[in-house]
Formats: sequence, C-alpha cells, structure tokens
Amino acid sequence: MIGLLEMRRRKFQFGLIAMIVMLISYLVLMINGLGVGLNVLAGSALRNFNADAIAYSERAGLSVIRSEMSQESVDRALSAPGVTAAAPLGYVAANYSDSRGKIRSAAFLGYDPGTIGEPRVTSGRALTAGDGNGLLADRSFLKAAGLDVGDTVEIGLRLGVRTFTIVGEINEGAFFFQPAVYILRDTWRDLKYGDMPAAEQPAASIVLLKGKGVTGKFDDYEAVNKETAFANIEGVSGQQSTVTSLRAFGYVIGALVIGVFFYVLTLQKISQIGVLKALGASSFYLFRQVLAQVVAVLAIGLAVSLPLAWATERALQRLPESVPIAFTNGTFVTTSALLFVTGLGGALFSGRQVARVDPIIALGQQQ
Amino acid sequence: MTATLEVSGLSKTYGSGEQAVHAVRDVSFATEPGEFVAIVGPSGSGKTTLLAMIGGLLTPTHGSIRVRGRDIAHLRGRQQAEYRRRSVGYVFQANNLLPFLTARENLMVVNAIGRGSRRAASARARQLLEELGLASRAGALATQLSGGEKQRVAIGRALMNNPELVLVDEPTASLDSQRGRQVVESLISEVKGRDKLGIMVTHDMEMALLADRILEMHDGELHQRARGA
Repeated sequence: MIGLLEMRRRKFQFGLIAMIVMLISYLVLMINGLGVGLNVLAGSALRNFNADAIAYSERAGLSVIRSEMSQESVDRALSAPGVTAAAPLGYVAANYSDSRGKIRSAAFLGYDPGTIGEPRVTSGRALTAGDGNGLLADRSFLKAAGLDVGDTVEIGLRLGVRTFTIVGEINEGAFFFQPAVYILRDTWRDLKYGDMPAAEQPAASIVLLKGKGVTGKFDDYEAVNKETAFANIEGVSGQQSTVTSLRAFGYVIGALVIGVFFYVLTLQKISQIGVLKALGASSFYLFRQVLAQVVAVLAIGLAVSLPLAWATERALQRLPESVPIAFTNGTFVTTSALLFVTGLGGALFSGRQVARVDPIIALGQQQ
Repeated sequence: MTATLEVSGLSKTYGSGEQAVHAVRDVSFATEPGEFVAIVGPSGSGKTTLLAMIGGLLTPTHGSIRVRGRDIAHLRGRQQAEYRRRSVGYVFQANNLLPFLTARENLMVVNAIGRGSRRAASARARQLLEELGLASRAGALATQLSGGEKQRVAIGRALMNNPELVLVDEPTASLDSQRGRQVVESLISEVKGRDKLGIMVTHDMEMALLADRILEMHDGELHQRARGA
C-alpha cells in the first residue's frame, strides 16, 4: 500500500493530522460526556424510578415542581385500569449543611416503604415506618457533603432546621440537578406542608405507575412515560438541544477539518498522482490509498482520544466539586462511528479530486 | 517479445472552428521491432502530444495507433489505464519519482499498481537496479539520489512491467551533457537489449543522433530526417 508507506515516511506530516483528528474527537467526546453528565444530573433519579409511567396533577403541565396530587387523585391513579403497581411520591427541594458547614441543596423524595417508590439501598439499611428523622442519601450527596451512613445532617426548610440521621446509602442519581435524598412520605408532607391543616395537605407530588396502557389524560391527572417525563424536567429540553447542537457542530467541523486536510494534501500531490495515473494506476486504486490514509489517521486519532477522554472523566470525577461528566460504552461507540463516517465523508472530496487528475500532467502538459 | 508500432493518419486538434489548434496533423509512421526512434523538433511542434497519444495519455482526434496489431487510439478510462500499465513504460522529463519512496520502491510501485507478485517484483527491481549500476543505492530515498541516478531509476521503473513500448520525454533536460549522454546510452542499451521499441522525444540533436532513426516535427507535421542531416 503506497498510501500507508507514505504515512510511515512522512510521520511528522501525518502525525500532525492525526493530532488534529485526536483533538477534534476528544472535543466531541467531552461534549458528549458533558451532555450525558448533565442529563444524569438533570434527572437520573427519575430514569431510575421503578415505574413505566409517572402521573402528574392535571394542571401541573408535567412539572414535578408544580404537581400536587390530592389523596383522591392518588387513589384514582392507583386504581386505574391496567395499573399493576403504583406508589405516591413527594418532592421538595431543601437545604442542608455539609461537613464543612457549607449550605447545599438536595432533592428530597418522600415515599412509602414497601412500594415501587422505595429505592434500593446499597449500604446501611432501608427506612422503616418509624424512621421519621431518618433518610437515605445518594452516594453523590454523601460525597458532596463529606458525610457517611450513620452521620447526622441538618435540613433547613421553611425557617426551621431539622436534624436527620443518614441510615442508608443509595445509588439513584440526581433530580433537578441536585442529589436525591429519600425520606418517608409523612416526613415529606411535614417538611413541605407542616403549617397547613392536614386535610388540605396534598398527598403526593406525583404517582409512579407500573402497567401497560396507563399513560394518557384522565379526569384529574395526566400520566406519561419516563422519557416524556424526563424531557419535561425544567431546563432539560433546552439543555439537550444545546448539547445536541454542540455535538452536531463537532461532527460537521470534524468532517470538514479532516476533509480539508486531505484535500490540501491531495492538491499538493497532484503531480505525483498524475505520474501514478500515467503509469497505469486507476482512480479507484489511488482513492483506495487516500481512503487507507484517512482510515489510519482516524484510527490513530481515536485510539488516543478515547482513553484520554476516559482518563479525563476519571480525573474530573475525583475533584471535590465533581464536574457533571459521564461516559457510557454507547457514547464511545456512537462518537467513534460518527466521526469515522463524517471523516470518511470529508475524504470523499479528495477522492473526487483524485478522479479529476489527468495523467497528461506527468508530461508537464496542462490538464 | 517484440513490439511493432504503426501510426496512421494521426491528428490531434484542440478547440474547433477558427479557434482550432492542430497540435498534430495527419502523422503516419511505422517502426521495426527493437528500434529506438528519436522525435525532434522545436517547442510546440507537437512531439510531446504525439508521444502522449502513443502512450495512451491523450485520445487522438483522428487516426489509428496500432501496437502489435491492436488499435489503442480510442481506448478510454480503465482500458486506457490498463494499456499504460501493461504495454507502456514511461521515462518523464523530470523523472517524477515518488520522493517518499526508495529507489527500489519506486520500481516496485509499478507492481503495486498492477497487483503482481510482490516477491517476483522485488527480484526484478533488484535485477534492474543492478543492471543500471544502482544496486548500492536501492535503499536510498528518491530525494537522496543525484539527477543522473534519478533518471536511471526512472529508466528501471519504465522497464519494470516488461512493456512493449518505452516512451521517453526529454530525458536529459535536467542533466549536464555528459551525464545526459550516459543516461541516453544506458536507456538505448536497456531498450534494445530487451528487444523493445523505444521512442524518445528530445530537442537535443546530440542525443537524437544516438537513436536508430530520427523523426522531425514541425507545426504538428512529421518529417523523416536523414541521419546526419
């Protein structure tokens, strides 16, 4: 393969192109990672709900913040046709003091033990009906707060402060860009509506539903699947369209840069291409050489950028104030595949130029 | 294997109407097997255009070019490339070696294009370089070779595919007269020693006189020239 031999002999030139590819793919990977990280922060706890659908109060506009469901609405949702299991869930944002006394916020979710709303405990124990001052904290909460299972934490809400004991650790993620903390639903009601008469207090913010055909608009509530619910989290749709645009720009710029680099390289080699054609090389043979070079440069660039992006993620996760970044295997596979495809697409311009070269230029004549 | 070339009524016209440029007009000639022919003439006389048509780089407007009985004048695309790959060896004016390849690899490029046996090509390249006195320079990059060495490598490359025709365009343009003469003598020796047909375009009469026959071109027309005239 003349193309690969040329790369070996012109290591510096092709090394620079591979570095550009590496930097672009690293940039696109980081944008993807930050996008995934922001999504995790936006509502991974919602995605982790053990539910097929989520019911909101009729006028909440699919906003967990605005949704308030009465006991009657909750009962109607629980007994709706097709529902095989259901659990009311309350949400309130509250402040707490971390181990250094810094005020932080967390998403407090009130649930009933034994229902599908109960999170899986990874360390410590689950809440029981008597744990009015106990909570289950997500690992991100514990990391940010510098606390551990067994520690106490002060929760501030409505001008008061209440001390809770961390009885267990969970790995449910975040909600509304805050770490998730699970408490009993009665405690949640007390925290959020403690100054209201009990009869007027809403029973839950939302209801988790399991079953088929349970979504839709009903008399006093609206149920949607988890993806729709996620997309309706305040700020998520704007954030997703921003991240999607950044990714698309990354792919387009990557394709253009790779395409332009190889196009310029091809222009510089017009006379050599002419000679090879005069010697009998077909355009297809020469295009294969360009293609081999593009594939090799892309492979080298990605082979460096993938582990670099992974290492960057690890390093950022270790920071005390962790940056919302996350990679999945899908992120790596999709990004690599798309950069390969767009890069090859960019290289097609070079192929077109190769096909246009007239071998007569080998004799020093004009095309 | 011997080569016979018959060019008949060959013309090449660029443009049309009043703006038509007749680069080659009604050229006819035939060659004998093992012959080395020089085509001379001033710049713009059409000699390189004639060479390009014989070598399958240009398609004539009229006429035929028969190589061992096969008309190659109107081949197109892939067939034209295959004709160049199988039947023609080129030595270009500026040698046009690939700078990132060694002398041996520049010869083997012809094999890579034609997908032949790599081992056989390697042996042939080594043999040709030895015959051309370049065995010790086989591993040198093209950029590290002198002008004369480059032209000899180009000759080796032209012979690599064992072609029927060896077409040479101003082979001494970038060489001093002594080195140029050595290169042309070496070229003629290699071509005639293998019973090929050699056609050399040159404006250098001293070099042309080394050929078996001299054809002279003026304004696209071919004239037979007596040796020593």
